Amino acid sequence: MLQYTIRRFISVIPVMFIVSVIVFLLVHLTPGNPAYLILGEDSSQESIKQLEQQLGLDKPIVVQFFDWIKNILTGDLGQSIYSSEPVTQVIFDRFGPTFSLMLLSLIFILVISIPIAIFVVAMRKTILDPIFLTISLLGVSIPEFWFAILLVLAFGVTFPIFPVAGYAPIAEGVFSWLYYLILPAFVLAAVEVGLIARMLRDGMLESINQDYTRTVRAKGVRESTVLMKHVFANALIPTTTVVGTAVAGLLGGTVIIETLFTIPGIGQLLIDSIYRRDYPVIQGVVLIISAIYVLINLLVDLLYAFLDPRIRYD
Amino acid sequence: MELNKIYKLAISFISILLLITLIGCSNSDTSGTENGKSDTEQTIEDPQAGGTLNVAFAAEPDTIDWMYTGASSTRDIGWHIFETLFALDKNYETKPMIAEGYEVNDDRTVYTISIREGVKFHDGSTVTAEDVAASIDRWRKVSSVGKIASQYIESVKATELTIEIELNEVYNSLLVDMSAPKSALMIIPAEIAESAGEQPLKPDQLIGTGPFKFEKWDRGNEIVLTKFEDYSARTEEDWGGLTGKKVAYFDQINFKIVKDPQVVVNGLKTNLYDYGQSIPPDLYTVVESTPTIDPVTYINGYSIITPDKSEAPFDDLKVRQALNYALDKKTIAQAAYGNEKFYSFDGALFVPEQTKLYSEKGTDMYLAYNTNKAKDLLEQSDYNGKPIKIMYANNYDDYKNISEVVKQQLEAVGFKVELVPYEWATYLEKWADPANWDLVVIGWSTRFSPNELGMLSLDTSSSGWYQSERWENLIAQYSNVTTDAERKEILGEMNQTVYDELPFVKIANESTLDIKSTKVKDYDSWIGQRFWNTWKSDK
Repeated sequence: MLQYTIRRFISVIPVMFIVSVIVFLLVHLTPGNPAYLILGEDSSQESIKQLEQQLGLDKPIVVQFFDWIKNILTGDLGQSIYSSEPVTQVIFDRFGPTFSLMLLSLIFILVISIPIAIFVVAMRKTILDPIFLTISLLGVSIPEFWFAILLVLAFGVTFPIFPVAGYAPIAEGVFSWLYYLILPAFVLAAVEVGLIARMLRDGMLESINQDYTRTVRAKGVRESTVLMKHVFANALIPTTTVVGTAVAGLLGGTVIIETLFTIPGIGQLLIDSIYRRDYPVIQGVVLIISAIYVLINLLVDLLYAFLDPRIRYD
Repeated sequence: MELNKIYKLAISFISILLLITLIGCSNSDTSGTENGKSDTEQTIEDPQAGGTLNVAFAAEPDTIDWMYTGASSTRDIGWHIFETLFALDKNYETKPMIAEGYEVNDDRTVYTISIREGVKFHDGSTVTAEDVAASIDRWRKVSSVGKIASQYIESVKATELTIEIELNEVYNSLLVDMSAPKSALMIIPAEIAESAGEQPLKPDQLIGTGPFKFEKWDRGNEIVLTKFEDYSARTEEDWGGLTGKKVAYFDQINFKIVKDPQVVVNGLKTNLYDYGQSIPPDLYTVVESTPTIDPVTYINGYSIITPDKSEAPFDDLKVRQALNYALDKKTIAQAAYGNEKFYSFDGALFVPEQTKLYSEKGTDMYLAYNTNKAKDLLEQSDYNGKPIKIMYANNYDDYKNISEVVKQQLEAVGFKVELVPYEWATYLEKWADPANWDLVVIGWSTRFSPNELGMLSLDTSSSGWYQSERWENLIAQYSNVTTDAERKEILGEMNQTVYDELPFVKIANESTLDIKSTKVKDYDSWIGQRFWNTWKSDK
């Protein structure tokens, strides 16, 4: 297990290197240039040349790449072209809202999807099962932005229970933090709830007719115990993988949700930086998001082996 | 559980879902028919001091250094914090602000400007002539307007509360340049002006003399200003614009970065914001039917088409004339802006509201739509039928719509046309190379002096490489004459030059839509948001 863990950790290195090359190339091969944006439409060619030189954008792209890589290895992601703040600082400042949003979403996902799946499996022989299948399909298919607008109109404007946009850091009180985040976190959770509840249901239905389940039943164990202790526990294993990818997916979803609800997180930072061609920030954000993605996947793999002792990677 | 119960459960669940959907869709009906806006039904209230104003601000500025850049997002926040020596009043005329007054010697080469006594900076110090001289020095280096004025400035001398500016030749635009609200000559403490040099001011260097002071900048979220208790106000109540008496009623202004206009409208409906910026005109009907929201409109420059005059086919005046004749500007504007409140037709270089700069002379050819003439001219020209590229930025619907209609109208007279849309950053870069485009469609914000007209700055990409001795001479003459009548004469000549040489083709004057809560009182719309002399009623 330990050897496996180490091996997996080492394999992250080439992945991250490839990611960094792709990120750098994508960013620098995209047309557009921060010097033009900073100086505006009636700037002279000389002042643009001068600013490009000052920003180091006149150097050959290979030189720029190796400068960047060299700095990353020392933990320095560079400086924002606009605010002159270190990129690590910029990302750190924006991480709170994104993390809050993801955390609350994940709580929603688990709290909603697990009971629903268990309930539906318990009621598997009734009309509830096809209804559930329909709704979960709907949940997976609904575009996030549409659902967000709908919820904002319903619970923000028509019944002004929640604010239509904005964010309050947890330092200003848990209540206002929740007050601003409930709606966006719910929207973000909606897609994944459908998916995960569905996975869990399928997993449980699969093991419900297995021999070991029949044996347990034959021993006279109560149906609820059969469901929870034997069926549910077994279905958790494939679900873990899905929850893992869901968390990574949430990170992508935050880009849309943060824009719709004007939450000043990583997603907004990324979008703004792309529009402004703030190269160091784009590179930093994408690199960190990729790192998180890779780490979550690694964690899921390890967790998988931990949850199911039958699985061993040697 | 019985099957019956489950059915009931399922049905009620579905009903709830449907209900939510219905509520969501029926939103626009809830505003009702009563149109309770306007102050008329209320008796005039006395201004109330205090409270916080929440402004939904459409674009986060790169910096709040109003001297460093002319960007309107910088300007609209900057002028609450900073003030200039001279400033524009509500009629766009130059009036003193931090200055007390000025004198010019007989040959118009030495300006002696006196500074008001005891004007306080936000750090508690008082404005001295040294601060002003250091600010002028920095303005000459970093401001696009200051760089132009700088060519005429020989020396700047500071003594106590007097500044003496000596010119190397007559330059009557000096005061106009000094009061330009674009890359402005804002007065900052000398040590800050010197230490900042040619870099934009950092947040801790944002020290001005304005009625509000900088408090904090939470990037991506909000910029907070607070009331400056020791503000040194002028006394003139009827000047308006950026000068005269300014009273800060609000304790705090939060400029919150909100990019989606629908969120801004919803936020105003639910009292999350009190003021919202840059609302697309197609939301005007929603705004109008909401009793708690007032529309705010103000001038915002005009839309134009600039031909690339460095290459065929538009290096040929005949082709440019064909272009002007081919365009039915009324149809274009109708398609681009929709609501008539947001566009108007006037061919001049400045808008009628700018009384000292506006001249209607020389604009006869503005609405000269005539497809036959266009066809004839095109036939006489060297145009060889090669497709022309119309480039525009696709993140602005207006310019996208204009480009599409222009394409149809040009094809109708025999041009072959290709549309090349780009996202803004790409567009700016592509603009710099004549190989990428033949026509660009763009809007230019309101300018305050002929030498600020970027679409006419000679031999640059922004003017499509315009070369004209006639225009150069007019600009030089303009800064030599002294009376308003002489200036008007030249402004008319300038209009005529533009229609004779067609460096660009004007489409229509534009207005911008903002929205405010009906609780915000005595707000006066000008060319951007100014939140002094306005206050929030708790009723």
